[in-house]
This record gives sequence, structure tokens and C-alpha cells, in this order.
Amino acid sequence: MRDYIVRRVLGMIPLILIVMIVSFGIFSLVPNPFAALIENPRIKKSDIQRLIKAWGFDLPWYLRFFKWFGGVIRGDWGPSLLYPGSLARDIIARALPVTVRLMGIELLVSLAVALPIGIISAVKQYSVTDYVVTVFSFLGMSMPSFWLGLMMMMLFSVVLKRPDGMTPLLPAGGIITPGLEDASFWVKFGDRAQYLVLPVFVLSFISIGGWARYMRSSMLEVVRQDYIRTARAKGAPERLVINKHALRNAMIPIVTLIALSVPGIVGGAAITETIFNIPGMGSLIIQAEIKSDYPTAMIGLMLASVLVIVFNLVADIVYAWIDPRIKYS
Amino acid sequence: MAEKAIEAKKKGQKKSSEDYTYVGMVFHRLTRHKLAMVGAFMLILILLFVFVGPLVWRADPNAQIEGIEGLFNVPSSAHPMGTDDYGRDVLARMFFGGRISLFIGFISAITSTIVGAVVGLAAGYYGGWADNILMRFTDAMLSIPTFPLLIALASVIGKGVGQIILVIVVFGWMVDARLVRGLTLSLKEQEYVEAARAIGASANRIMWRHLFPNTLAVLIVSTTIGIGGAIIYEASISFLGFGVQAPFASWGNMLQNAQQFIWNSPRLIIYPGLAIFMTVLGFNFFGDGLRDAIDPKLKL
Repeated sequence: MRDYIVRRVLGMIPLILIVMIVSFGIFSLVPNPFAALIENPRIKKSDIQRLIKAWGFDLPWYLRFFKWFGGVIRGDWGPSLLYPGSLARDIIARALPVTVRLMGIELLVSLAVALPIGIISAVKQYSVTDYVVTVFSFLGMSMPSFWLGLMMMMLFSVVLKRPDGMTPLLPAGGIITPGLEDASFWVKFGDRAQYLVLPVFVLSFISIGGWARYMRSSMLEVVRQDYIRTARAKGAPERLVINKHALRNAMIPIVTLIALSVPGIVGGAAITETIFNIPGMGSLIIQAEIKSDYPTAMIGLMLASVLVIVFNLVADIVYAWIDPRIKYS
Repeated sequence: MAEKAIEAKKKGQKKSSEDYTYVGMVFHRLTRHKLAMVGAFMLILILLFVFVGPLVWRADPNAQIEGIEGLFNVPSSAHPMGTDDYGRDVLARMFFGGRISLFIGFISAITSTIVGAVVGLAAGYYGGWADNILMRFTDAMLSIPTFPLLIALASVIGKGVGQIILVIVVFGWMVDARLVRGLTLSLKEQEYVEAARAIGASANRIMWRHLFPNTLAVLIVSTTIGIGGAIIYEASISFLGFGVQAPFASWGNMLQNAQQFIWNSPRLIIYPGLAIFMTVLGFNFFGDGLRDAIDPKLKL
């Protein structure tokens, strides 16, 4: 097992390098942000040249990559172009907690809803409940997130009003009511929660279907096994058979999938964040790349990709740890 | 008595599964899959809407009505779905936008599958360092968050239909590559491949004449489901403003400016979004039924 982990960790290095080069290569296609400055008569040509040189835009992209990579190795991720005067690292640090809060709550809500309905629809296969769950899963999986987001915004922030008849039932976007930043903890908590309802609902509705179907098929696989028949044959109550004998084994692949979806908590959801005006990682990365702010965009992308690679290994280790039948050599 | 009943029942049965060819059997199972039939029905309606619609309702999707009274018209007999922010007929744009969205969906899903099949076949068949390099690259592409790079690429290489397809394919072939590689690894151990090699068939011939046809069933399923995914990608790219550009309509770019008009003209959001949703749902229902029909044990 130790050799296996060491080998896998070493194998990550070329993988991370490929990810870096591919991402950087694609960003290098985004036009030079300083070229447009030439149009501005108030900026001296020599200043523009100095900026271009300082940012490495006078070099071909692969040399610029080495310039950037040299900095990264020394822990210098470069300044942000999108927010001049700040370090790219600090910009990311500001967006990260916003996204982790949103995506973390979304994952918990999705699992809390999807796993029970997946189990029920497997235990009662081909029942009405099963059909309803299946159809709803497909509805969620086929829903474009921006459309559901806009429809929910329309319903809860335009059509429906609070009892006073003036303010919308739920805020249409943002993360906190302006002016409440210094309020007491519970006031802020309640306020932030209102802003989270719509985006969390939209994201969960889309992912619940997938989770429920995974849970259902994993459970169906297990309840066909001989040891489940044995448990029933020896007279164990059905509740016990499902909750203890079947569920614990059916959860093995699900736990792996949960480990694989942890990196998504950091990557954010670009579209939903954009619609609901949430300053998280997803919308930040998109903005950064449109404005050629490659230092910021690269941190975001690297953080997300490295986590994907690491959690792939975590998932494999967890898999072997909870399922003694799996042995890596 | 009981025996007679069984006899009668046997005669009453139309055909047992052994009487069908493989394709016939798949078709037979598919027609008994309720959700697949619902999906097929939805897709037929959408195709009729998009291809027959313009023959019935002959309006120019790009003609703008002059003057402010032409903008944001509510549905009327002159404009069954109203007009948009440029005073264009929304129904006509729905027809032509649907054609473009479906075209992008079909072509990018099929191309992604072909690219994935080529990579997967090569990696699985040759093995060794070729497998290592191709699969490490596939792994790397799978670990990159697709959406941000999709947007970056789309913002650079242009806004035509062809470019959007290229962008979707660049980030869409990896799952198929893994799938085909896995199948190839087990298929190439079978006797008929050994026999083909024994009579001196070239690697190319073995890959394309012997291995590829056996992965086709799985690839058809993954393409069907992929079309829905590609349509959503196109819509998401267009929604953020990097997709197909005006004057061409696509269901995605009809939504591009719609968010600004959410307060006064929600119709502009509801129609194209609903069309995308129904189309993707149709492909997902149908694809799921197709997978069950081809191989109930298959996991995709």
C-alpha cells in the first residue's frame, strides 16, 4: 500500500505539469491586455513597452510560461491584472471562502436529499415512487443551470413579494445586504442565508438527480447479492437487512464519488455565480481570463486541477480502506 | 388443462428474444422502454418544430421592425411569440436558432466520439508507452476544470458555428477515449483478434474492422447522451456572450441579453430555455433507454 501511494504521488508530477502547460497555452491565446492601451493618447508609448516587458508579453508563450513557472516555484504567483495593485493570490483568497460556503452547502443539501430517495427508489424498484424519482432525476440532469437560475429569480425576486408588498421574497443576487457587514453574527448569518437559498436550490436541483441515480444503481447491485438473501433467510427484519447489510456495502462507491466531488467545492460554479452575482471562484476565473489576467486565472485553475488529481488518489485510498476486498499492489 | 393453458400462452407470444437479430432485439427492447419512447416523441416534436415550422410560419428571423413600438411586443397574431429587444420575430428565431443548436449538438457529439474512439483504440491496442502517453494526457485533460478553459478558448478563436464545435470537441473526447480503451483492452484478448492477426491483418485493419464495430453500441449511447450535453455547453457559452454571434440565432444566444429584460419581458427567457431543456431531456430519456436496450448491465 505504501509503495502504491508513493508511486501514485510521483505519477501526479507529470500530470500537474501537463495541466499547467495546457492551461497556460490556452490562456496565451487571449490577446495581450496592454496592446489596447496604445489607443489611449494619455499613456506614453515607453510606459506601455515597460508594462509589456514586465509582464512578459514580449516573449513567446512558452518562454512566458517559464517566467511564470519560475515565480510559482518561489511562491510568487504574480500580481493581478484584473484588480491592479493587488496580488493574484489575495484576489483568490477573497473569492475562495464565498465559493466554499456556497458549494459546500450545496453538496450537503444534495446528498441529504439524493441518498435517501436513491435508496427508497432502489428498495421499491419499479414502484410509482421509483418512476417519480427517475423522472425528477432526469429533469434535474437536463436542466440548463442558467435557465433554472433565471426562472427561480423571476419567481422569487420579481413575482413573489414579502407581506409588505414591496420587497421581493428573496434577494435576486449578491451575498449580503449592503451595510450589514459589521452586524452581529446571527444577524449576518440570517441575512447571508437568504442570499444562499436560490443559488443552493438551483445547484442542488441539478446535481440531486445524478446522485440519486448513482445511489439507486449501487443499492440495486447490492440487494441482488447472495448475502442479502442469506440475511433475509435467517429472519433478519427487512429494515435491518436494508440499513445494515445492504446500505453499508452500497455506500462504498458513493463514498468514493463524494471524495471525487470535493474539488468542485473549490472550483465553484461559473454560470450560477455569474447569474446570482456571487463573487466566487467560478465567476472570478471567467472574468480574469476575459481580461487576460492570467496570474489570477492560473491560480484558480491550478487549485481546482491539483485538487482533482489529489482527490482521485484519496478516492482510491478510501475505496481500499473501506472495502477490504480491494488490494493495491 | 394446465398444460394446455401453457401451450396456448406459448402460441400467443409473438416472438421470443431468440427470433430477433441483434438490432431487432435492441429495437424491440427500446420500444418497451416507456421513458425512451417519451424521449423519442419529444425529439420528433422538436425536429418537426425546427424543420417544418419555418415552412408554415414564413417570417425572416433577422428582420427588425423599425421604431420603438416594434420592440418587446407581446404575443399577437402578427408575432405568435412576440418580438425581442431588436424587434425581431421570436418564433422565427426559435426555428432557426433550434437548427443551429441541434446542428452544433449533433456534430460536436459525433466528432468528440470519433476523436475519443481513435485515442482509445490506439491506446488500448498498442499498449505500452503509447497507452501511457495518451492516457496521461487524457487524465490531465479530465482534471482541468473544463468550463473556464472552454470559455477562454471560445473567447479567442472566434464566434462561428465551426469554432464553437471545435471548442466543445477539444474538451469533450476524454470520457469516450477511456471507455473505448477499456473495451479494447478486453476485446483484443479474444480469439477472433488473434485469428485476424494470424492471417496477417494490419494493426489498422484489426482496429477499425474488428475492434471498432464492437465498441459501436456503447459509442452510440454515449453520443446520444453527449448531444444533450453539447447543446447545454453551446447554450452556456452563448449565454456568457462567447457563442454564435448575431445575426445568427441559436437557442443559447437568444438568452444572452435576456437576463437584462427579466423584469419586463420574461418571455424572452422562457421560450428558448424551455426548448433547450426539452431537447436535452429528450436526448437523456432516449439515451438512457438505448443503453438499457443495448446492455442493461452497462454503466456509462
